Amino acid sequence: MLTRGTLIYISQRLVLIVFTVLAVSSAVFLGIHRLPGDALFNEHLHGTEYQNVLHHYGLDLPLWTQYTNYLTGMFLHGDLGESFVNRGVKIAPLVLREATVSAEVGAFALIFTIGLGMLLGVVAAVRQNTWVDYVLSTTSVIGYSMPSFVIATFLILFFAVWLDNFTQGGFYFQIGWTGTYGSIGEIWLPAFALGFPYASIVARLTRASMLEVIRQDYIRTARAKGLREQIIIVRHALRNALIPVVTILGPLVIGIITGGVIIENIFGIPGLGKEFATSILNRDYNIVIGVFTMYAALIGIANLGVDLLYVVIDPRIRY
Amino acid sequence: MTPASFRFLKAMCVAATGCMVLAACGGSSTTSTNLAADQTLKFPILDDFGTLDPAIADAETDSEIQQNMFNGLTKFDNNLNVVPDIASKMPDVSADGLTYTFTLRHDVTFSNGDKVTSKDVLYSWNRAAAMSGAYGTSYGTNLAAIDGYDKVSSSTPVGAALEKLLEAKDPSVTLSGLTAPDDYTVKVKLSVPAGWFLSAISLAGTTGQIVDQNAVKQDFDNWWTNPATAIGTGPYKMTSRVPKATVDFASVPNWWGSPKPTVTKVHLDIINDASTAITKYEQGGYDIYGYGGYSNAPVADVIRIQNTSSEKSQLLIHAKVRTTWVSFNMVSDKKRLAKGPFTMDQGQSAHDLREAFALAVDKKKLATVVCSDIVCEAATGGLITKGLTGYLGDGADPLGGYDPAKAKTLLTGADPTGSKTKGLTYTYDPSNPLNKPTAEFLQSQWQDNLGVHVELQAVSHSAFIKSRLKGDYVLARDGWQADYNHPQDWFDNLWGTALGCPDSSCTSGYHTEAYDALVKKADQESGDAALADYKKLSQMLIDDVVYIPLFYSRGSFLFKPYVKGAGTNNFSDYLWNGIQILQH
Repeated sequence: MLTRGTLIYISQRLVLIVFTVLAVSSAVFLGIHRLPGDALFNEHLHGTEYQNVLHHYGLDLPLWTQYTNYLTGMFLHGDLGESFVNRGVKIAPLVLREATVSAEVGAFALIFTIGLGMLLGVVAAVRQNTWVDYVLSTTSVIGYSMPSFVIATFLILFFAVWLDNFTQGGFYFQIGWTGTYGSIGEIWLPAFALGFPYASIVARLTRASMLEVIRQDYIRTARAKGLREQIIIVRHALRNALIPVVTILGPLVIGIITGGVIIENIFGIPGLGKEFATSILNRDYNIVIGVFTMYAALIGIANLGVDLLYVVIDPRIRY
Repeated sequence: MTPASFRFLKAMCVAATGCMVLAACGGSSTTSTNLAADQTLKFPILDDFGTLDPAIADAETDSEIQQNMFNGLTKFDNNLNVVPDIASKMPDVSADGLTYTFTLRHDVTFSNGDKVTSKDVLYSWNRAAAMSGAYGTSYGTNLAAIDGYDKVSSSTPVGAALEKLLEAKDPSVTLSGLTAPDDYTVKVKLSVPAGWFLSAISLAGTTGQIVDQNAVKQDFDNWWTNPATAIGTGPYKMTSRVPKATVDFASVPNWWGSPKPTVTKVHLDIINDASTAITKYEQGGYDIYGYGGYSNAPVADVIRIQNTSSEKSQLLIHAKVRTTWVSFNMVSDKKRLAKGPFTMDQGQSAHDLREAFALAVDKKKLATVVCSDIVCEAATGGLITKGLTGYLGDGADPLGGYDPAKAKTLLTGADPTGSKTKGLTYTYDPSNPLNKPTAEFLQSQWQDNLGVHVELQAVSHSAFIKSRLKGDYVLARDGWQADYNHPQDWFDNLWGTALGCPDSSCTSGYHTEAYDALVKKADQESGDAALADYKKLSQMLIDDVVYIPLFYSRGSFLFKPYVKGAGTNNFSDYLWNGIQILQH
């Protein structure tokens, strides 16, 4: 599986990811410093005191000097600096921790997306033009028509508020996050909210792809040979039907990563998405750059993973 | 489906529905008067604190947490009176008002067991004064009245270098007016009498608080980030922290003060979305909402809770310490770009225009339209917020009135052709959700009652503040959140030459000789004499129509019925050591 060509491809892509991260962090660094306002100014700081604060954080240095200091810190020491708003908080461990939280929620969302989406798509295709097909197709249309934050709000309203009131606290979804990585009970609903629109897209695509594949001659031959229908669907039809699905997996993963911004804020999850919004509003330069850098790395790695999945799904594809 | 199986299915459905109804009709929990076994207090804050170092703290969240970790010589009690804290009694003040002698309690200890003596007070205040310049802190000026402050606050060393100087008691970082004749006496000599001095050093969680040098010197800048070195004299100490996620505190065993803490643990979650935090509170995940400086609940949630019979008794809406008003540009010079028709050099016509704009705004209607009469109330008693010392009284501020007829008459007299009020712009920052609807309301009031069209301009917060303080706007959203309960905090920080007016750090540019002289006099007085002079200053601002008062902010809090002893005053939450969790 891991041929020489594949290994060369992987290493080329990893180098490209590094350059992408550098380009993104540089663009964000320069852009954020051009924005009006900063994290340090407030009504109580006047004149000289404000200048002293800028000096303390090195923000009175020329932009080029600040930039080279930042690059040196990032590449030589893995140091992304310190928060301006939350003093003493180092950015690198903060965004790494938050990235793993976001990745955890995203992974559950992806499992849900692919698992549920494929299941619905296969069932709809196999039961084409029956009430099962109609219900699942309608559900899919509703799913990808509604933004994830609308779905999230409805889910909270139902599972966290209405169910809590109706069962007098007996059974409901407890909003929030405990510990660093949460629990299954806290992840499933935000993962569902994040993944459901994409699961709907996967369902529709899987259905269409399956319908095309199960009409192929080799499927007819497999049936003629007397194979059971489940074996035909799973072992013969599904694998070929997955190729179009894998094609959209890249943008889908990116959608899940970036969709986490709103979902994490709504569910109070201490992930990268929540940090993204807060840091921009606070003009906390270092965190903004750190968050964008981490997102660029995550998306690059996710895309690489998706591209490598092609090799697994379709042995004809080689790099 | 056979008839038998259909009947069975129907019976199962009925049974399931019955169970759910029974569950829904379950009795509500009752609250006992006995203490709960688990004395853990849980509440959310909407953003992580910036620092727990009293020398550099400047955010409300920081001080709301720190006030439970640190103490000063004096403090504000729940009724906003200055009372002794680490000091055993109120200080002896010399007849000339220049020397304050504090006697310390002998039983005060830090949470690591180190005894607190006068050298800790000297170290803490010298450190805070030295950091005010080098680090640019917001509340270093709370110590500004002490002799030697100007020299110490201009020192530049930071970090370990500064700690070295402090250890060596270097004159460059030693307030000459701060001495310790013995281990339990601190003598403070002021450079000028300052009736506000005790209020300033009582401000919770800031420069007047005492820190342990043994802890600080281990990491001068970040000692407070590590639970092992986040040492204070307060009833609680930090036990763990996941930045931007959670913070935990535990009570200090055998704490020296009173009341002794009943709540043994305090757990804070950082949740950015207020509605999410309120939902979790309603689920029972939190005991309090609004503590930690986050009492600005969404109005929709507050209205919903007010209309929910099982919850409305848990809601407390309380006045806070913020007033919002409109400032005029009142000075025209080379540095202030705004100019405009309201500048004082244009004499009576400019005065009449300012008054016209003020009286054309219905402040009560503003509070209803913008705040639903919940998160704010009309400012009719002067700029100092209702409930604070210096508040003039309900309806006492004529600028808080609404008289569209008089406003129109004044406008017609001052600007008969409409040329002066053409092309005006009101600038605001939309970061606070109230600012945009306020701007739109003002625009409509000036249009409807004066026939003057004022453009609206939104500018991002920190850019807005910088430009406003430079005098770049003709009409601007203005406001102040009081630091401590003393009128000096308002009059020294908003107007007058001593602040930097007209050209530096001054929104309106307002300064007159009479104002400068009176504020200097009032700052040196105390008691009734000071209050009388501060009232005269308020009248000066009214007579010169320096502002259009809009509203006083209010905070919304939620307390579970089983939480006893929690509450708030204008400034801060009640301390954690006064709270008890009852059985529920």
